[in-house]
Amino acid sequence: MASKFERFAALHVPGDPVVLYNIWDVGSALAVEKAGAKALATGSHPVADAQGWADGQQVPFDFALANAKRIVDSTDLPLTVDFEGAYSDDPAQGGANVVRLAATGAVGCNFEDQVIGGEGLHPLKLQVERIAAIRSAVGDAFFINARTDLFLKTQTYDDALIDQVIERGKAFADAGASGFFVPRLADARQIERVVREVPLPLNVIAFPGAPPKAEWAAAGVARISHGPFPHRALMAKLEEMAREAIS
Amino acid sequence: MSQTDKAKAFAALHVPGDPLILFNVWDAGSAQAVARAGAKAIASGSASVAGAHGVEDGEDVPMEVALANAARIVASVDLPVTIDFEGGYAVDPDETARNVARLAATGAIGCNFEDQVVGGAGMHDIDLQSRRIAAIRAAVGPDFFINARTDFFLQAKPDAHDGALTDAAIERVKAYADAGASGYFIPGLTDLTLVERITGASSLPVNAMTWTGAPSNREWAGTGIARISYGPGPFRQMQKWLEEAARAELA
Repeated sequence: MASKFERFAALHVPGDPVVLYNIWDVGSALAVEKAGAKALATGSHPVADAQGWADGQQVPFDFALANAKRIVDSTDLPLTVDFEGAYSDDPAQGGANVVRLAATGAVGCNFEDQVIGGEGLHPLKLQVERIAAIRSAVGDAFFINARTDLFLKTQTYDDALIDQVIERGKAFADAGASGFFVPRLADARQIERVVREVPLPLNVIAFPGAPPKAEWAAAGVARISHGPFPHRALMAKLEEMAREAIS
Repeated sequence: MSQTDKAKAFAALHVPGDPLILFNVWDAGSAQAVARAGAKAIASGSASVAGAHGVEDGEDVPMEVALANAARIVASVDLPVTIDFEGGYAVDPDETARNVARLAATGAIGCNFEDQVVGGAGMHDIDLQSRRIAAIRAAVGPDFFINARTDFFLQAKPDAHDGALTDAAIERVKAYADAGASGYFIPGLTDLTLVERITGASSLPVNAMTWTGAPSNREWAGTGIARISYGPGPFRQMQKWLEEAARAELA
């Protein structure tokens, strides 16, 4: 029987993307599992929001691990954890931290290139070292979903930006990443370019007002996640119900 | 506002006939959503907290986890927060009181405290339960809102909610009030005539639990209820809503 990691990796099919409806705790994991999900993915922002913390590694490291462990123990589905910047800029320390995450039973993580608590992105050279260190520490059977925040950090989604995205994607692939995540990449033509030139399954994020999933699938997307939006929508619904009850 | 001021403000919201409405939460995020809705106070529900952690109700959420969750909820809102603390994670009065004192140290201004035997059958006898409440009161000071819950109407099916059971519940509220309770919680009872008998006999503000299909808030208010809570309903509805939203996206 295929391992959980193998099952998860095999779900990344360009043109037939795995859909991840992001969760934040065990309760949300169980609800999304009941809905028929093939895999589970936390979002760091909703994990933070659910506990009253800010995003950007304000979730204490030990809580993030304990939360991941509780989710893994509650379901047979593969779990990938949004691990932000692995709680360290240092490549070796980041690798050690991801090993601790893998020990919870999670089969993968998101790993981002923005400077958490600072400005801009890590230089490509450092980010490549960080990814290589994680791969070397965690072994082959772990899905490193390497994320670039180029799109999140700019308002100009032009072809020059896509050139930079592609440069990062190729370098991340060489460093041992398993997937490439470009939040806010949405244009089908730009997606096609990235898919053609970066040899990794591409993950984009569905946001309110995003193009239909079929359009992204046709462009070659292999994974669609939902980031903070499921939790936000749920909390808006809760607020509405509470207002009705209270009035 | 200090914790004492919050506790006093919270107590003052219990007005028979004009009840405080508590739409129960389970984490800091849900507390903030309910606060945005205009709530005057925040109350957790233990079944909801358990559900969010994937365990059963009945103190299966470890006490340290429950306390940390309570502290995060308190820190996330400016409103008074009361925590559903089940049976205080102990039977012995002194140990129970120490645990509730730790809860109070999170900044929570009150708790629910139930008389069923958690993890066992039936209910604690009235003398032991009164001693437990008295020990809590001695440990937490005069302002902490001890919402003493009786489980008579959860343990007996609705068709067994009769005058004799109501008399027993009235006997308990008198004993709990003497022991230092601040409020009386009667989840499961929906017979409004019996509710009115209890509110009429109780020196404490009475809390009803409501859900879809239970009496309306106006009807509860008409019986002299001072507090209405929603128990596990909000969490369960959110779980269902999340499942449907996820199904729509996964299809």
